[in-house]
Amino acid sequence: MITLTINKKKVKAKKGETVLEVAQREGIYIPTLCYHKDLTPYGGCRICVVEVQGWPLPVASCTLPVEDGMVVKTDTRLLKKLRRFSLQLILSEHPHACLICSKEKDCSQYQECIQKSVITFGCKFCSQNKRCELQDLVDYLGIKDIPFNFHYRNLEVERFDPFFDRDYNICILCGRCVRMCQEVRGASVLDFHHRGPETLVGTAFDLPHLETGCQFCGACIDVCPTGALRDRYGKWIGVPDRSIKTTCTLCSIGCSIRLNCLDTSVINSTPDDNQICVRGRFGIAPLVHHPKRVTSPMMRKGDRLVVVEWDEALQFVCSRLKDQSGKAGIVFSPQLSIEAIDSLYRLADSLHCHSLSAYSICHCAPFDLKEIKDEAVFIIVNTDMISDFSPLLLRLRECIKGKATFIVIDAVGGEITQMADLWMRPEPGKEKELIDQIFVQRKKRAYTNISAKDIKYVRDLLVGKNCYVLYNPFNTGNLSVPKEIETIALPSSINALKIDALGIDTPVTQVLHDKNIQCLYLCGAVPQLIKKYDTVIVQDSFLPPYEFDVFLPAALFAEINGSVMNIEGKIKKVRKAIEPRGKARSDEWILGEITRRLNFSGRTRQQMRRKGARITTYRSVGSSKAYPIRLIVRENNYVYRGKPLAQLMKGFERLRHDNHVWIHSSTAKKHRVKDGAVVQIIGKEMKLTMPAWITDDAPKESVVIFSHPSIGFIDSQPVRIACTKS
Amino acid sequence: MAKRSHKKFRLHLYICAGTGCVANRSLEIKEELIKEIARRGLKDEVRVAITGCNGFCERGPIVVVRPDGIFYQKLTKKDIPDLVEEHLIKGRPVERLMYRQTPKTPAIPKMKDIDFFKHQSLIVFRNRSRLNPEDIDEYINYDGYSALKKALMHMTPEEIITEIKASGLRGRGGAGFPTGLKWELCRQSPGKTKYIICNGDEGDPGAFMDRSVLEADPHAVIEGLIIGAKAIGAEKGFIYVRNEYPLAVKRIRIALHQAEKRNFLGDNILGTGFNFSIDVVRGSGAFVCGEETALLASIEGRVGRPRPRPPYPVQKGLWGRPTNINNVETWANVPVIILRGAKWFSSIGTKGSKGTKIFSLVGKINNTGLVEVPMGITLKSIIYDIGGGIPHGKKFKAVQTGGPSGGCIPKDLLELPIDYESLTEAGSMMGSGGMIVLDEDTCMVDVARYFLNFTQQESCGKCPSCRLGTKQMVEILNRITEGEGREGDIELLEEVGKNVKLSSLCGLGQTSPNPVLTTIRYFRDEYEAHIQKKQCPARVCKALISYVIDPELCSGCTVCAKNCPSDAIIGEPKKVHTIDQSKCIKCGICITVCPDKFQAVKKMSPVIK
Repeated sequence: MITLTINKKKVKAKKGETVLEVAQREGIYIPTLCYHKDLTPYGGCRICVVEVQGWPLPVASCTLPVEDGMVVKTDTRLLKKLRRFSLQLILSEHPHACLICSKEKDCSQYQECIQKSVITFGCKFCSQNKRCELQDLVDYLGIKDIPFNFHYRNLEVERFDPFFDRDYNICILCGRCVRMCQEVRGASVLDFHHRGPETLVGTAFDLPHLETGCQFCGACIDVCPTGALRDRYGKWIGVPDRSIKTTCTLCSIGCSIRLNCLDTSVINSTPDDNQICVRGRFGIAPLVHHPKRVTSPMMRKGDRLVVVEWDEALQFVCSRLKDQSGKAGIVFSPQLSIEAIDSLYRLADSLHCHSLSAYSICHCAPFDLKEIKDEAVFIIVNTDMISDFSPLLLRLRECIKGKATFIVIDAVGGEITQMADLWMRPEPGKEKELIDQIFVQRKKRAYTNISAKDIKYVRDLLVGKNCYVLYNPFNTGNLSVPKEIETIALPSSINALKIDALGIDTPVTQVLHDKNIQCLYLCGAVPQLIKKYDTVIVQDSFLPPYEFDVFLPAALFAEINGSVMNIEGKIKKVRKAIEPRGKARSDEWILGEITRRLNFSGRTRQQMRRKGARITTYRSVGSSKAYPIRLIVRENNYVYRGKPLAQLMKGFERLRHDNHVWIHSSTAKKHRVKDGAVVQIIGKEMKLTMPAWITDDAPKESVVIFSHPSIGFIDSQPVRIACTKS
Repeated sequence: MAKRSHKKFRLHLYICAGTGCVANRSLEIKEELIKEIARRGLKDEVRVAITGCNGFCERGPIVVVRPDGIFYQKLTKKDIPDLVEEHLIKGRPVERLMYRQTPKTPAIPKMKDIDFFKHQSLIVFRNRSRLNPEDIDEYINYDGYSALKKALMHMTPEEIITEIKASGLRGRGGAGFPTGLKWELCRQSPGKTKYIICNGDEGDPGAFMDRSVLEADPHAVIEGLIIGAKAIGAEKGFIYVRNEYPLAVKRIRIALHQAEKRNFLGDNILGTGFNFSIDVVRGSGAFVCGEETALLASIEGRVGRPRPRPPYPVQKGLWGRPTNINNVETWANVPVIILRGAKWFSSIGTKGSKGTKIFSLVGKINNTGLVEVPMGITLKSIIYDIGGGIPHGKKFKAVQTGGPSGGCIPKDLLELPIDYESLTEAGSMMGSGGMIVLDEDTCMVDVARYFLNFTQQESCGKCPSCRLGTKQMVEILNRITEGEGREGDIELLEEVGKNVKLSSLCGLGQTSPNPVLTTIRYFRDEYEAHIQKKQCPARVCKALISYVIDPELCSGCTVCAKNCPSDAIIGEPKKVHTIDQSKCIKCGICITVCPDKFQAVKKMSPVIK
């Protein structure tokens, strides 16, 4: 225990703590700028300087380790002068006209309108007005003028990348974004360029973020003290009046997030306790307020779509369900709340409907991250964990006290293959053989094109360490590994475990192929339809791309209260941030109304018919002369209620190209496919048309697509490709 | 004591192969000498060898003939046949190649009689002009590695530290921290893995002391490092050299290789069970990497940006381990202290500053070069006795010590004894040893601007005080030198300078205002002349001067008019010429070409309207 004196007050501290940490704990305020509690201290802004008795110069308290007997002063005249000096210098590079303008009070009172302009001249023109740490510091230090020449960097605002803008003209070089990206996220996209007065924050070779491995997680924006890094959507809506803690349902991790709202708008979503990913950070607010969202009940009357009242729509639904009760099929998205799923289950029950199906069915077990703590080796199979599960990856790293080694086995390249300690790239379809080889010593080596040296490296690595195999079951199928090795299945969808627990395991294809079904109820699902139906009921937020009879506008998760179950088996709460837009209502309410109105009595409840569920669409892919290309199908994890995010928000398309078919450059050359050209992918019983994206992440002589039910249920299989006239 | 095999030679020619003389083709002279000696059949009688920097760079290329110590300077290839014929064969040293103070004074044949050399005291440069840096045996013959044997076999680590502490040796890199104390703190820091580092980043403009030590006597530095490693308990050392010193890097690498072969480095050194090895790391072109925490970052492969201290490197240094960093010159002092004793070493110098210091004496001085002098010698002695005074009869104005981190010392303080404390009190600092002499034709405001420009470009950019504070100061100085100085500028410079000193993160920022603050302190009148009268008293700042032709002295020879690049000079032959101020670009060609007997072109300040 160390005792030191701060401002004549004796305080206790532990060895290794800094003076700033101790002062904050004791309620002694020391102003800071480049300091952030989640990042290593930088000591660069010189605002947190303190005087230590007996030391010749003031020292930055954020980096000063406590010593027994230290006598510290935090608020002397000299320190005030130096803090003002440092801030005045920082402001000599930052448009400060409004900060020291004598008319500032009047201006705020009478000119409420935010001046959206191309160049940020001052606070009034900045999206972060009233939320800026520089404004707070200027107030605290009482700065009335800046006696230095003003230097405007005159850089172009960077707007090329999706999701967020970067205006480095107002950057104060605090380095928080750099430290966040390097230390916490591990992506190392940002760093300082040049030195001295030319110093700037940027990417390697000034490349656009899309080309640098940026995950667009938005963590840099969350720590930026000024308006330099800002969300593009919602930038000008205003200062939020509330911040609602809820759970993101866009993938199975179910991160806690905060929805920041003003009146009836969701401005943006930000992390709560743990880091999140691009979906939760940039995919929610624009989705809630999407211009294509339909928020009124609609019915088809003749050949027109007509807006109707809820009553009429619900009446119609009930009458059809009653008439066709034995011939109804229900397909739903797991991204509903558990309460909604329960209502669906009960509805299906009361309808004696045996055809209840959901996307992403799988048999997976929950796992506890707390059990993973010692030095471990992670083998990740066919799953780009950075693209799809980055918050989980970060938490895995945190749990491990020692070193975490990541071995990736994947025929397809991606974000995770670039950062892996070792990337083993087998021929597509040979993953099982490779895993076999690693874990079991066999005399005859199966051909997987992986060198013996690499296999030996992994085997040696595994000695004496815990090993976990992580995989998305959709992409790999059943993986068999020795008993001692723990496998962690990563289903991509929220509530996957709940659906499994409820025993819902009828595959969607089975429902869609069922000739008996005449009435199809789609709840958050938009699968490709194979036949015509008497009745198509759609309960969703966006219109499907085919004909339907009635549309019931559903609320998004930002507009409801409920709960969801995540990949660890935990129940997490979803909280309403705004009232549902327009006439939309929660799925739970809609289903409850239908159930209530149906009031169906009748046959006793029978056991849901269980059929052996086909868990996976994966199988080993060969090729033939007619079909020389291997089609690799991966699950698209960027989906909400059946619609790929890329279809709704252009940023996701640019980031992921998951609505393109990925082709290796040599394969593209061979088949004369140009980047962006529309190609047809033709298999024995399938045909797809999509634009091409040329990347060497796709293996040679293969193409990769990201599957979701709206393009049909396609297995990995041999295909051929043909160019259409583009 | 000469090598046994060298006994057969009656004459040894040591050719200076420091970077300065090499750039002046000294190696070509060496080849020519070898050829000529062979041609004249003297191969078995006369030995030709290279040696490191002699210090008298003004007079290079230099050859010293031993055992008599005859000093030849400013040699060219054409002089070789004469040298061989007259001196080597006939035994008549060649007078015209010897040193003369002025062209009219008699030649001084022996090195030890030349003023430049005779006032110096050599400790670090003890093997000057008699040692081939690429031959370990020559080093050993001059008691090389004897200190190492003594330290490893007859002293404990604590005894080594006590000896260094008692000697009073202080860091020669600039800060002057007591070396023995630093070693003790490092030794006492908990942890089994420790590192020692030799800082050879030498970034001060005009400083080349460390470079010359590394080129001339790399084994002295290596021996010091090994002794230090033993004292502290380190098994790994690094020599960090700036990449702009390729010859130094080459010589160190050769020396390390030779030392390893003789078991002075590596495992089980001299059978004592002590293991130690050294790696060479090259810098990448940043002045700030001379700062110890930035240097550590650079060795670790990270960007060279300083971090706040504490914790100090002796507590948490390279890769978080206790690390002792010392300057090249400091390390070179260690073997001789161990061998001859702390008592002897502390008998040289002043009360607070023991031993000698190497200075690079440059600028407006007759004898430019490197000098090693005992602490306590006066500035006057260095400049006049050793340096030979100011050339062209100009008046001394100030001497700038400590490079961009130091300050200037005016004429009134010339009797100042050189010592860490006295220089700091005068507002300057010892620094790494740069000593730039300035005369009446130097503008002090321009000097301040030059140094501040340098530090601003080399600033790492982390803290606003240095990154932006120096920039604001440079802008003010630019305005002043361009005739746009305003009332209050001097006070602003002082205020900003003081604040930058107090709030900067590292030594670069903390000392960058020194040139400005000292020039204001001692030459405030020059600043005021620039601002109030728009006058540059030294007539340097282009915006404040005019070139004029004195009608009393001009003879109308038309040389200036013919050479003027902007046709600004008007005049008939044999008639007085005039300069059209509206066209004059102040390039100074007219002053240069005007024949010495006329010297009719003058500079005037303030400008002529």
